[in-house]
Amino acid sequence: MSRPLTFRWQGRAVDLELEIRAPHAAVTHEGRRIEAVFRRDGDWIELRRGAAATRCAAIAGSRGVWVSHEGRAYHLERVHREAPARTGPAAAEVRAPMTGRIVSVSARAGNASREGELLVTMEAMKMEFRLTAPEDGAILEVACEPGDRVELGQLLVRLAPPGEAEPR
Amino acid sequence: MIPFRKVLVANRGEIALRVCRTLREMDLPSITVYSEADRGAPHARAGDESTSIGPADPARSYLDMGRILETARRMGADAIHPGYGFLAERAEFSRACRDAGIAFIGPSPESMERLGDKAAARRAAIRLGVPVVPGAEEIDSPERALAEAARIGYPVLLKAAGGGGGRGMRRVDEPGGIQAALEGARREAEAAFGDARVLLEKCVHPARHVEVQILADGKDATALGERECSLQRRYQKVIEESPSPALPATTREAMERAAVALARDAGYSGAATVEFLLDPDGSFYFLEVNARLQVEHPVTEARFGLDLVRAQLEIAAGGPIPSRPAPRGHAIEARLNAEDPYKGYLPQAGRVLLLAWPHGEGIRVDAGIAEGQTLQTHYDSLLAKVIAHGRDREEARARLLRALRETALLGVVTNQGFLIDILEDEAFARGETFTHTLESRKWTAPGTVPDEALLAAAVAVSAPRVPHGGEGDDADRFSPWRNLGPWGRPAPAAEGAWP
Repeated sequence: MSRPLTFRWQGRAVDLELEIRAPHAAVTHEGRRIEAVFRRDGDWIELRRGAAATRCAAIAGSRGVWVSHEGRAYHLERVHREAPARTGPAAAEVRAPMTGRIVSVSARAGNASREGELLVTMEAMKMEFRLTAPEDGAILEVACEPGDRVELGQLLVRLAPPGEAEPR
Repeated sequence: MIPFRKVLVANRGEIALRVCRTLREMDLPSITVYSEADRGAPHARAGDESTSIGPADPARSYLDMGRILETARRMGADAIHPGYGFLAERAEFSRACRDAGIAFIGPSPESMERLGDKAAARRAAIRLGVPVVPGAEEIDSPERALAEAARIGYPVLLKAAGGGGGRGMRRVDEPGGIQAALEGARREAEAAFGDARVLLEKCVHPARHVEVQILADGKDATALGERECSLQRRYQKVIEESPSPALPATTREAMERAAVALARDAGYSGAATVEFLLDPDGSFYFLEVNARLQVEHPVTEARFGLDLVRAQLEIAAGGPIPSRPAPRGHAIEARLNAEDPYKGYLPQAGRVLLLAWPHGEGIRVDAGIAEGQTLQTHYDSLLAKVIAHGRDREEARARLLRALRETALLGVVTNQGFLIDILEDEAFARGETFTHTLESRKWTAPGTVPDEALLAAAVAVSAPRVPHGGEGDDADRFSPWRNLGPWGRPAPAAEGAWP
């Protein structure tokens, strides 16, 4: 008996069909069936596929599962069934990628901005980071000022995709 | 031999823990200090005694000289080890310690002023006949910067005069970029070092960054070989190794002689690093002196079998420079940072859900984090250093790769995969490392999740977790499964199938 499971990784949907009956695990992904014999040991999962054995660390966080495989970490985010991943946001948001201080603000509400254009300069860990427009669009709102202390994830600038709002 | 009663470690993270280890080996009682943001960090528990020294803002904690001196006096410390960064290169702190009758484990304020200040060190190098990069000091206006850049030729670098670590450094390729770069460099220099002075230098390209480790006792100095630290991002080192894969013996000897001459001339005492740029034509230029222990000092320790922190303490206590053992093999260090290398090296925060370090022959880990700790972005993004030593470069490289593949850190995005990318890279294996290598090439994140990782994720959300070792209760173990159901929903049972 299999059941579907969808993760989101790097902004893309990862659709899986799962069949887990210890010690056998099988995952069907993009038409391929991947099988292994597994054993759980604390936060580690030992996988045996034919002659090859691998150890992965896996742990559930607040937003998904973290897996470490061969020194690389993968954060597979949960996809809420009731709120599927949006295909395209109505407005692009520039949020603080870290806790820090706003050094300067180039964005002006009502202006048009081009992809890659500087919007806000932030400082954290004594280094400056330039936050640029993710796509072409009109600047709807500027929610920060030079000197502000901002928290991780705080909204700084809101942009409308081209066509949805005409710059003044 | 060591007349210190108790040593206060005025730093945080991996270097505070590393200094404490040597203090324990020397039977010297230690004090560690921490800001409120670091209350849960391992260094806050690493000393024999520990105390809070103020809020998260470094200016009111780790950089607060009065507060740290007062803490040392109150708790009976007669020596302070500053680590690197923070107060390590503040001449006024070295002076304040001396005035308070507390030994500063580092150079005197006088030799720090002569060597630690980039402009002063440059003048000393010129006087001693050590080659320097063409440049100019005291760049206080865009007009002056434009005139000097025109004289020297583009590209040029604008650098903070008062400190290192890449803070306040800007590359400028044409006159139009001068004004913004100068403003940015001055602002960063002021924020990082409390000193907005900026100097301008010719940008040597393609260059290698090679530095010489020095130990000095105020009269004499010894060089302990070089480290190559060319692989940098935003002027901050990522991978360091010793010896350099590209340094002829005659050039190494000339660099060591230049470094020793600078240390002797300044009457320097303690550990220092003299940094050079190596031109592809084999000539080298003096860059600056770091008047402190360096982040990458373990590669030198691995090759020479010396403890540089112990040497610092012995020299500060009036002891001699340890005799120079013959170097053996090759050592490489990788810096594990809380940053996303595939998204502009943005600093990352989060909770360390799982942490496992590598083991084995020739592997050393200097870490400053613990499982369960919440990492914030108040300070430097360095989490740990993984160092591998081997008979030759290839053995060290293979060991470091194996060690990084065995390392598991979950809950916070790090540059671990990027470090593996670099070590696996063919150009790195051939020793082709330049200061522009990391930023001039396109490094891309993995495009797919490996099959094993998909299977592990599926098992993790579907099959019941078994306590480590397969039996017994692991109620004492930190686990988000224990209190919360899958995805944070309260669950009737600790384990549950999902969804």
